[in-house]
Amino acid sequence: MASIARSSLLRQVASARPAFQQSVIANGARATAFHTTAKRDLLPPLPQRVEGTVNDAAPVPETSPSHGSYHWTFDRLVAGSLIPLTVAPFAAGSLNPTLDALLCATILIHSHTGFQNVIIDYIPQYRTPRARKIFMWGLNAATAVVGLALYEFETTDVGITETIKRIWTA
Amino acid sequence: MAALRSSAARLLGAASRPALRAATAPTSAPAAVRGMAQVADAQQHSQTASGDQANLKTFQIYRWNPDTPTEKPKMQSYTLDLNKTGPMVLDALIRIKNELDPTLTFRRSCREGICGSCAMNINGTNTLACLCRIPAEDSAEMKIYPLPHTYVVKDLVPDLTQFYKQYKSIKPYLQRDTPAEDGKEYRQSKADRKKLDGLYECILCACCSTSCPSYWWNSEEYLGPAILLQSYRWLVDSRDEKTAQRKDALNNSMSLYRCHTILNCTRTCPKGLNPGLAIAQIKKEMAF
Repeated sequence: MASIARSSLLRQVASARPAFQQSVIANGARATAFHTTAKRDLLPPLPQRVEGTVNDAAPVPETSPSHGSYHWTFDRLVAGSLIPLTVAPFAAGSLNPTLDALLCATILIHSHTGFQNVIIDYIPQYRTPRARKIFMWGLNAATAVVGLALYEFETTDVGITETIKRIWTA
Repeated sequence: MAALRSSAARLLGAASRPALRAATAPTSAPAAVRGMAQVADAQQHSQTASGDQANLKTFQIYRWNPDTPTEKPKMQSYTLDLNKTGPMVLDALIRIKNELDPTLTFRRSCREGICGSCAMNINGTNTLACLCRIPAEDSAEMKIYPLPHTYVVKDLVPDLTQFYKQYKSIKPYLQRDTPAEDGKEYRQSKADRKKLDGLYECILCACCSTSCPSYWWNSEEYLGPAILLQSYRWLVDSRDEKTAQRKDALNNSMSLYRCHTILNCTRTCPKGLNPGLAIAQIKKEMAF
C-alpha cells in the first residue's frame, strides 16, 4: 500500500537540493575561512563502548561522602557564608582584620572547590587520568600560592576590603 | 482501476503542476508513473487554484545511514502540504515516511506522549514528536535532529543503551524485607502517595538527560536527570526499605553531584515534570 501511495514527483522534490541551501553552505565556508582560530578537537567523542552486555547494570561507584554529600554541603556553606562576609565590612562601616582574613580564606576555599568542580567535569578520570592528576595538583599549587600571597597582603599591606574601597570610585 | 486513476491524475495535474513547481524546489523531469497519492495531490492542487491555499512547510531532517558509515551525516529537506498533514510533527514524519521517503528511520509507537519512543530534537528543543505541534503560523523550516550527544543508530534513532544500563543500576523496583501487615499489600497513606506525584509519570524518553550539558560530558558516570528523578521516586516511596543503600549508591562525586542546577531538564521535559527539583531534593536529603 505504502509503495503505491508514494508520490514519485514529491520524492524528486524532496531529493532536489534548493539553491538557497547551497548558498548557505558557501557562506558557511566563507565564515570558517574568516575565523583565525584553528578548529581543535579537544577530547573528541570516542567510539561507543558498552561495559559488559547491554543487559548489565552500569557499575555503581564506591560510597565516598567526602567526595559526595559532605563535599557538597561544605561547598554550599562556604558559598552561603560569603554573602554576609562580603556585606559585613561595608554595613558595619569599620574594618576588622580578623573579618578581612576570614573573607580572604573563604574566597580562597570557594574558588578552590569551584575549580575542582570544573576539573572533575571537563577532565574525566576514566579517560585522561594523568591530565586529571596534573590539573588537580596544579590547582593545589595555585591555591597555595594565592593563599600565601593573600597572607602577605593581609599582614603587610592594607587588606582586601580596604583595597576594594580605594579602587572602587563608582 | 489504476489506469483510470493515473489518467485522471494526468488530467487534473496538468493544470496544477506549475503552481506545485513554483512552491517547491525545481524538478528536472516530470513524473512518468503515478500512484494514488498523486491523485489526491492533483485534486488538492486543483482546489488550490479555486482559492484554498496550499500550506507548504519544509522539514529538514538529519540523515545518517549505518550501511554507508563513511558518508557524513546530512540534512535532507522534505516539503509537505500542512493542509493534508496532521497537526503534530510525528504526523509529518509518518507522512514523509509513507509518501516521500520510506528510508527515513525514527522510533514511534503510541502517538500520544505515553511511550516516549519519538523523543527527538525539534527546532533545537528535545521533545516528543507526537506532542510537538507544527507551527502553522510561520513558514520557517523545521529542523529535526536525533537527541543531542547520543550515538546514532540511524537517522533519528539514538542509542540509549547507557541510559537504560544506568536506569538498571539504580534498582528501580520496590525493595523490602518486612512482609505486609495484613499479608496482602503494602499500604501507604494518602500523603505518602502524594509524594510520588510528579515522579511516577516519567516515561524515560531521555529528553531531559540528553539536554543536560553535564550529562553530555560525563554520561559514563553521571546518572543524568531522568535517572535521578527515578532514583528520587524510590527514595521517597514510603514502602521502600532500602533508602539508606540507595543514598549510598549516589554518594560519590560523579553519580549525583555532577548536577550543576542548569535546569535544561525541567525546561525541556515534554511531560511537564521537574527533574531539577527532584535532584535538589535528593541533595537536600543527603546533606550532612
